[in-house]
Parts: sequence; structure tokens; C-alpha cells
Amino acid sequence: METNSVNRDKTGRNILIAVSVIITVVLLYYSVMAMMAPVRKINSLKEEYSFRQDPKNVVSDSIVYDSAYLSLYREKAYLTARTAMAATDSLYLSMNLADSNVTLEISGVTVATTKLTRISASKIFYDRDQYFISSMLSHPFTVERNIASIPKMPLMIKMAPKDTSEYQPDIIPDTADYEPVNFIMEMDNGTTFYVYQEEKLNKGDRMHLFLFDLRYRIDEAWISMKSIFSLKVPEYHPFIRVRLPRADAKIIYRALPEHGQIAVYR
Amino acid sequence: MEEELITNEELKPQDNTRKEGSGLLRKVLIGIAAVLSVIFLFIFFIYIIPALQTIPGKEKNLITNSPLLKKDPGYKKHIALLNRDIQRLSRKYSSYTSGQSYLVINTTDNLFYLYRNKKLIREGHCSTGSFKMLKTLEGRSWIFKTPKGKFTIQGKQTNPAWRRPDWAFVEEGLPIPARQDDPVRYEYGVLGDYALALGDGYLIHGTIYKRFLGMPVTHGCVRLNDDDLEAIFNSLSIGSKVYIF
Repeated sequence: METNSVNRDKTGRNILIAVSVIITVVLLYYSVMAMMAPVRKINSLKEEYSFRQDPKNVVSDSIVYDSAYLSLYREKAYLTARTAMAATDSLYLSMNLADSNVTLEISGVTVATTKLTRISASKIFYDRDQYFISSMLSHPFTVERNIASIPKMPLMIKMAPKDTSEYQPDIIPDTADYEPVNFIMEMDNGTTFYVYQEEKLNKGDRMHLFLFDLRYRIDEAWISMKSIFSLKVPEYHPFIRVRLPRADAKIIYRALPEHGQIAVYR
Repeated sequence: MEEELITNEELKPQDNTRKEGSGLLRKVLIGIAAVLSVIFLFIFFIYIIPALQTIPGKEKNLITNSPLLKKDPGYKKHIALLNRDIQRLSRKYSSYTSGQSYLVINTTDNLFYLYRNKKLIREGHCSTGSFKMLKTLEGRSWIFKTPKGKFTIQGKQTNPAWRRPDWAFVEEGLPIPARQDDPVRYEYGVLGDYALALGDGYLIHGTIYKRFLGMPVTHGCVRLNDDDLEAIFNSLSIGSKVYIF
């Protein structure tokens, strides 16, 4: 009886050790693959946007690290992106991370502006090679998918009355209706913008934001897992996370077209 | 022997109880460890990995301000080219903003802003589309929303009459007149003193429902109070721009 019990204990312990080792190995493998993702993304962006010598005007490669040159190059990149968007005749966003502000514009006309209260971004945007970042930002980002806590178009369906006896005049809309405003925009070049409301106006706002963010994180982790467990380095999505006042966040989300464009200055 | 046997028998129940107790404790500990492991794995995949991907490396900042480079003629040429490009782009970009009067309409908050020479000269409440979708049993439908984007004033009218479209009859359960110029379609005095056409049947006009200004209640047109409408009518001419967001 006692020998059986000892054997069972030993088997149990061995299984526990084996499971722990397997989990540790899996986690290590997952970590390594996940850490390779941003490195790979940076390398691919550098390949696409790095400095190319003009044979007619050759200059030292170190120009891309010169502060005066970079400052002008950044300005040019931002203007290039905004000019390209202005030509489209639709609403777009200009996000200036250096000045912490964001403007909603149409054809070069600023129609709304707001201050960004909190900003955080992927390490890609802080890479020591600022030239390729500015080159990348000279092209506007285009929204591919929106995930939001409010509808883009708050449509209400009303059935037409059959005759005048069924007719009822419209009820005055309830403008006091409250819903938290948080949204995520996935862009065509793989970058993700997280726009969250700054204020916690209602009790449930904090929990709402936590769950909204968690749902997206779970989706992202699931996609990464599928990729990693099929022995592929997952796609890394650089991000810019900003907070702004709720009213402005709502205006921006409702105003931007489904596939709106964004220019970023940093 | 007898003594030993008695002692063993006396000890057995206690041992069993102790063994059962330690077995239960072990099960509880294993349970807690399993739950904690699951929580750890969840946090690991959802929070730790993305955080690790975001930690900036200890890369040295390479931005320089070398006087040697500045003496390079190629450098000077590059800087001059950049300055020229920036000036060209800035000019192009500011040329988009009209120096003439233009109107900006915020459909989310139902506000308007009138600009002249790029300066705000008047602002106030307006009413824009209600975002209602009117559906009939026959399958026809209309969405009452104010379109967004850049528009041009295409026409101006004083004492406008409203030619009621089909939806205005459907909405009230009335029969739709067959002809577009049927006198039943015409209603006078409901659009205020002025109307400015934006195209596709959308107008900027006055209203008899002034208490709804600042609310999304229209069928797509922009409603204003009498004073604001008059100021806008006098400021904007045909061809003036209206930006709706």
C-alpha cells in the first residue's frame, strides 16, 4: 500500500516537473518569437525608408543624424503627408505628437483642434535612426479597420406609418445620453492608433475602458499565438496611444470617414 | 507482540487522519498553484509580452550637430533643397484655406462657425441630420443625415418655398403625389427668410422649430435661427465653401 502511494507520488512529481519544463520552454520560445517581431518590423521599415544617396548630390551618410537636417526633414515629411491628404477633399487628422495636439482638417482648413493629454508610442518611433521614421511619416496612414465603443453613425430605424392615423411626431432626442468614447484604428501600414477618452465621468468608465482594451489585447494575443505556434514570427503592430477629452474624441471618431487618413509629426 | 499490536492499532486512525489532512492540503495547494499559473499565463500573453515589445533598447542617441558636416557643400545643398521644399509645400497648403468667407458646421455638437479672412466672426447653434432611417413596408428607405466634407454654395434664395420630397409624405403616412410639381408638395414659410443650396437637395435654411436648435433633428439640411441665417446669407456668396464634419 505504502509502496504504491510512494510510486504515485513520484509519478505525480515527475508529471509536474515535465509539465513545468514544457510550459517554460513554450514561454521562452513564445517570448523569443514575440521579441523578434518588432526587430523584424524595424528592419523592414528601414529597408523601405532608409536614406538613399542622390548621385547628383552626394553627401556624407552621417547627414541623417544631423539635428538641423532631421528637424527640416521632419517638417517636410509632415507637410508632404498633409498636402497629400488635403488634395482628397475629405476629412483627415493631423496629429502633432511634439506639440501634443491633434487637428481635424478638410482641404487644408482646420475645423477642430484639441490637446492630447497623454501620449505613448512604440519603441519604433523612438529609434535612434530618426530618418526612416520621418520618411515613413511622409505618407499618410489610412484607416483599415475601426473598433469603437460608439457607432460611427448612430442610426435609428423608424418604420413609416401606413396612414395618417398611425403617424406620430418625432420624439426630441435625448442629448443627455452618455456613452464612453474609446476607439482603435488599425492602419494600412500595420500601425495601430488607440484613442481613449481622458475623463472618468461615470463610475463605470474605468471598467469599460479596461474591458474594451482587454478585448482588443486578447484578439491581438490570439493572432500572435496562432502565428507563433505555426513557427512564424508574428506581425508586429507599432502603436500610438493617446488620450483626449471625450467630446473631442467623439467629434473625431464621427467625423473621420471609415477609411480616413492621418498624418503624424513627431 | 501484544503490546506492539495494540499500539499499532491505536495509531492507525490518527495516521490516516493526518494523511487525509495532508492529502487535502496538497490538493488545495495544487489547485491554488494551477489557478495562479493560469492567471500568470493570461497576464503573460496579454500584458507582459506587449510590454516587453515596447521597452526601448539601450541604443545610444546618434543625433549630432557636427561642424565638419556643416562645411560639406553637399550638406549645404541638401539643406537648401529641404528649405525650398518646405516653403513650396507650406505655400501650397495655406493656399487651400480660402481668404473669403466660409462656414464650418459641426454635426456632432450641432454648432456652426462663420469665418472671414481666416478669422472667426460668428458662431452659434444649428440643427443637423437626425440619423433616422425611415423604412417603408415596400422596401423604400431614406437616411436623414447631413453629409460631411467640403461643399460649395450652389444657389441662394430669399423667401424660399419647400418642395416636399417623397419621404415627407411617407413619414406622415400621406399619399405621395405623382407629379414633382404638384401644388400639394409646396409649403411656404417653413424654411425661414433665406436658403442656401449645397447641392443634392441639401439646404442651409431657417426654421420654425427654434427650440430644437442645437439638436440633431433635421432630415439632412442645416437649420439656423433667423439672425444667424441672415448673417450667413449676407457673408457667403455662390461658390463660397462650407465644411461639414
